[in-house]
Amino acid sequence: MVREAIRWLLSSLVLLFTVTVLTFVLVALAPGDAAKAILNARSGGYTPQQYQEMRRLMGLDQPLAVQYWHWLDHLLHGSMGTDLFNGQPVTQALSSRIGPSLSIIIATLVVSGVVGVVLGIVSAARGGVLGRLVDLVSLGGLAVPNFWLALVLVELFAVKLAAFPATGYTTFGTDPAQWLRGLVLPVLTLSAGAVAFIAKQTRDAMADVLSQEFVIMLRARGLPTRSVVLKHALRNAAIPVVTLLGLLLVSLLGGTVVVEDVFAIPGLGQQAMTASASHDLPMIEGVAFIFTVVVVVTNLLVDISYRLLNPKVRAS
Amino acid sequence: MVRSLMTTRRQALIGAATALVLGLAACSSSAKPPTQSATGTGTGSGGRVGGTLTVVTDVSPQTLDPAKAVQNDAWFTELAYEPLIVRHADGTLVPGLASSWSYTGTGNSTFVLHLRSGVKFSDGSALTAQNVVDDLKYVVASKGQMAPFLAGDTFTATDPLTVTIKAAAPDPNFPQLLTQDYVVGGMISKAGLAAPTGLGTRTAGAGPYMLDAGQSVTGDHYTYVPNPDYYDATSVSWHKVVIKVVPDVQSVLSTLQTGQADVAQGDPQTQNAAKQAGLTVASSPLLWSGVVLADRDGKLAKPLADVRVRQALNYGTDRTSIADALFKGLGEPTDQMTVPNGYGYDAQLNSTYPYDVNKAKQLLGAAGYGSGFQLKIVTPDYQQLNILAQALKQQWQKIGVDLQITDDSDANKYAAAAFGGSFPAFMTSFGAIPVWMEGPSLFMPTAAFNPLHAADAALTKLYDQEAVSSGAAQAALDQQVEGYLVHQAWFVPVVTTGLPYYARKSVGGISTSATEPLLDLYEVQPAG
Repeated sequence: MVREAIRWLLSSLVLLFTVTVLTFVLVALAPGDAAKAILNARSGGYTPQQYQEMRRLMGLDQPLAVQYWHWLDHLLHGSMGTDLFNGQPVTQALSSRIGPSLSIIIATLVVSGVVGVVLGIVSAARGGVLGRLVDLVSLGGLAVPNFWLALVLVELFAVKLAAFPATGYTTFGTDPAQWLRGLVLPVLTLSAGAVAFIAKQTRDAMADVLSQEFVIMLRARGLPTRSVVLKHALRNAAIPVVTLLGLLLVSLLGGTVVVEDVFAIPGLGQQAMTASASHDLPMIEGVAFIFTVVVVVTNLLVDISYRLLNPKVRAS
Repeated sequence: MVRSLMTTRRQALIGAATALVLGLAACSSSAKPPTQSATGTGTGSGGRVGGTLTVVTDVSPQTLDPAKAVQNDAWFTELAYEPLIVRHADGTLVPGLASSWSYTGTGNSTFVLHLRSGVKFSDGSALTAQNVVDDLKYVVASKGQMAPFLAGDTFTATDPLTVTIKAAAPDPNFPQLLTQDYVVGGMISKAGLAAPTGLGTRTAGAGPYMLDAGQSVTGDHYTYVPNPDYYDATSVSWHKVVIKVVPDVQSVLSTLQTGQADVAQGDPQTQNAAKQAGLTVASSPLLWSGVVLADRDGKLAKPLADVRVRQALNYGTDRTSIADALFKGLGEPTDQMTVPNGYGYDAQLNSTYPYDVNKAKQLLGAAGYGSGFQLKIVTPDYQQLNILAQALKQQWQKIGVDLQITDDSDANKYAAAAFGGSFPAFMTSFGAIPVWMEGPSLFMPTAAFNPLHAADAALTKLYDQEAVSSGAAQAALDQQVEGYLVHQAWFVPVVTTGLPYYARKSVGGISTSATEPLLDLYEVQPAG
């Protein structure tokens, strides 16, 4: 167990290092840089001398390895550097954005997980029309573009019915009720496609398990259907669903960008887009670092779930 | 995703540019009346004071530092940084931190400011002449958007409340430059100047409000509270002002419709919907959009060296049809590089190039291009410039000109191509700014919008005369410069457009005009 924990820790560190190095290299390879972004924003045009001077002022004229080392050195001392445009510490800028992003992502996981699994189970257990209905809903959920759905929800539930705010994010500490109200439309938007995926995956996994011999034996022993489905079949069918939830969480890290844009939620996705457009390397590195940590932790949770759900994994 | 890309593009290149940005402030005569007052209940100051004013804009500021901020971000700085001179709503200049000012001697080279006494910054420190000198030096050193207009000048505190600026070259626009319109007019406190890295996310000004960092999230919302040391408490109209960034222009409108905000900087895409929603909509001409025929010496496209070819392109442009079809009532056709009643505007110039295909062909034939030619052009896709380019392509086909369009959705790449001098022509939107400022931006040999450095002795002579003139003589020279540019056809201006503002009926002071196309947040008050 201890050996596994050490192995996990080491592989996580390697992953973090690799991702941050790759991010540095990719940003450097991308056309343009922060100096150009600043000069363009300020004057629209610039001379080569002005550009070189700006690069020197921003430290962009140093070799990439030196720049990375500086960033890593700062990180080891608890700092991710500062925003190239306004001087704000990256850790400070990102810390205020983690809450909104995690709120949306976790709420989306919960909603889509619960609704998707329930739909999948009912569909698998009952089959027939309900099964086809799940397929139809899945197809619809996947086909509707997030952006369009968000605008429709805003028009209907915010502008027409005034039931939820159209934009903005309230922290839980400020007003829990308003926090919840503000999450409803963004989470509905993101859940539409996610529910479809999970329901279909659950239905297929459940259908597969329900056709296995041990389930037939359980039924033959006279166990009630509810017990067979929820206690025995679901446990076996849960592994691919848990895997899907893990993948969903990872995809939501980047997938929230559109929703954050439409609902004006100050999340990490929006920050990542802004930083990328302006080549703000410290900020991009900071976002990449946080995303990687979330991915690492998610993988760990998924692994732990496997162990809890499947005794064979525990034994191995 | 499309929306977010649009937004980030806009943020990435608010300035490609300058065009858009300069336009905002340049033509502006926005104002904060120094002794604004109204009746009603409030803080005891005697003025009507509302609760919270929530304002929405779709662009977040890169920085709050007035020396580095661009004009698009003026809303974020003007509340906290009182300018030396205030431009009033009617376009007149009134005292701000400076109680009086004037040029001394001849030639617009020495400018003297007398500061208001007893003024304090929000950190409690006093305004001094040395403070102003240090601020102006910081502006130059910061190399921000306005630094070129002060570069080379010397600043001296001639007594504790007097500042003298000696210009490196004649400069008739110090009074305009030091207003809120150009951001750098807002003074920073001594403590702020001593720690400039902090100015990106906090404020240190002498304006009516100050940023409450604890209630703000950079890039999302900025909360301003009254500055207790402001010298004119009666002009503080709100207990709190929140500027919220909503990146999606459609969501900006929704935020207003649901009552989550009171005022918004709108977008032409949603302007008609805002009217239908019953919101107050104010918009006045601000920008001209069209083509910069950059290669006037024919280095990349030989035909453009001939003035008859450039004029032919102007005659071959059906501006009215484009304005009607593309801008649907939100744009007006124009022949000149300014807006109605803007700097150098001459109504007679608007009949210089009536749509006349035969005349265009005749000119091309006389220039030796009767069988037409190819012309490469680069366009960004903001402000509908890419669609405008397509319309021009269709129209110019009729006179034999084959427009080869490079549509660059990456605004940074567009800027590199356009301002890097690799295209003989490029699409742009440009604000109408004072002609003296327009020179180094738009048409003088070193201007960013003159990337191939075309020079014209007659134009330079007119420009130099304008620099040392004032009053009516200056206005007449402005028109002469504009007329020269129009007749030499260095550009193909097509339409003028405005920047719309939306507001709910619960607030007042939402108005713009030809002399004040920008809405100044100082002006917004509780309705009634």
